[in-house]
Amino acid sequence: MAEPGRIPVPLRLCRGCRRFVRIENEACDFCGADLAALEAAHAGDVAALHAAMDALRAAMAAHAAPLPEREGSGVGES
Amino acid sequence: MNVERADFRLPVRYSGLDDILKRVPVSVVWEITLACDLACQHCGSRAGRRRRDELSTAEALDLVGQIAELGARSVGLIGGEAYLRKDWLQIVAAVRAAGMECDLQTGGRNLTADRVAAAAAAGLNAVGISIDGIGATHDRLRGVPGSFELALAAMHNVRDAGLEVGVNTQINARTLHELPELMGIIIAAGCRNWQLAITTAMGNAADHPDMLLQPWQMMDVLPLLADLAVRGREQGLFLQPASNIGYFGPHESRLRNVMDEEIHFHGCNAGDTVMGIEADGTIKSCPGLPSPYAGGNIRDRRLRDIWENAEPMAFNRRRTVDDLWGYCRTCYYAETCLAGCTWTAHALMGRAGNNPMCHHRALDFESRGLRERLVKVKDAEGRSFDHGEFEIVVEPVPACHG
Repeated sequence: MAEPGRIPVPLRLCRGCRRFVRIENEACDFCGADLAALEAAHAGDVAALHAAMDALRAAMAAHAAPLPEREGSGVGES
Repeated sequence: MNVERADFRLPVRYSGLDDILKRVPVSVVWEITLACDLACQHCGSRAGRRRRDELSTAEALDLVGQIAELGARSVGLIGGEAYLRKDWLQIVAAVRAAGMECDLQTGGRNLTADRVAAAAAAGLNAVGISIDGIGATHDRLRGVPGSFELALAAMHNVRDAGLEVGVNTQINARTLHELPELMGIIIAAGCRNWQLAITTAMGNAADHPDMLLQPWQMMDVLPLLADLAVRGREQGLFLQPASNIGYFGPHESRLRNVMDEEIHFHGCNAGDTVMGIEADGTIKSCPGLPSPYAGGNIRDRRLRDIWENAEPMAFNRRRTVDDLWGYCRTCYYAETCLAGCTWTAHALMGRAGNNPMCHHRALDFESRGLRERLVKVKDAEGRSFDHGEFEIVVEPVPACHG
């Protein structure tokens, strides 16, 4: 059987300065930021953006739905 | 923050952890002939004439089967110029029949509509066309007047045949400032995959040190490419940095983001998930590496035997920080990066393990008011995949640098 390849040593991303740092770090070696706090903030931002996108999609779907018929109404009614 | 991600299909030549553990040569790059219809100033293999003893059709088709047996998913045909080999369509068809993807990397000079149509009929999946700069810049680098327009025409021929068309571009002193405008041109021509690599000091390029980038220019290259990657993605273009572009610094995530911001460079893949084959059957762990890295010849040994047992194929997977030297030995990223692209490091320094073409390294030197400059101290010998040697001079950043 072939000798296995070299397993890459992974790093983690500092959401503050965007540098990659050692995966076991709690603070960024380049900017000093709290990595876990930045990660939590990022997760919150992503969740909020997803929620906004879902709301937008729902609103667009509702706008595209056919309008219910009303008595006396017609095209061009102002 | 980018949450809306374009729907990009990852090329099959991208490898995962399972491929690494099993050492599957996911991506095989095969120089099927060294004959060429261009005369590129930066050609690492010094292509032009056929090699003395190129594989016969029977040998080549047998090799296709051996490649498939190892689990390869993608075979990239290169040269020289692959279509100059009379049996190239048979090779394409055999690769496809064996269940692997087949793409062509070409200078495009004579990639006519008929030629593309025949290749599509044989099963070719995609074509990457080399375009280095715009107009006269490209023509000079490729050594043939009019070759830029021919390359664009080849792109259109590929698109018209319904194949995927990508572009490969060399980044050097002559092309760097043209990259933004070039991106617009290739997007308009239908390109969706743009692979960029720094010109390596090998072969013909080693004879033109003025063409090569300096280490301190990584301060310009990386921010530019990260910006182009974002702008390109907005226009449906996937910018793929080669393994000799990097490393780390604040732009790494933007540059290497393949649907995941946390992807980063993880070291050379040579001999783990990448294999190179020369036209005479020589097997290497990477297509660009020089002859000391050759593991054997398929006329003498089976491909599996070379891949699994040949000592020169093992250098990368056994490499540790102890094999590094110079700046790379004590770098913050030493354990992950292991001096980046072996090909680049060896071509410049005469051996692997210390790679000055690095953004993190350039930033570190700049923070101390310094920069590294390469000075050529030895010429290349004039053989295919040869190289000279450079020394690194550490100097203060000039007052007007930038």
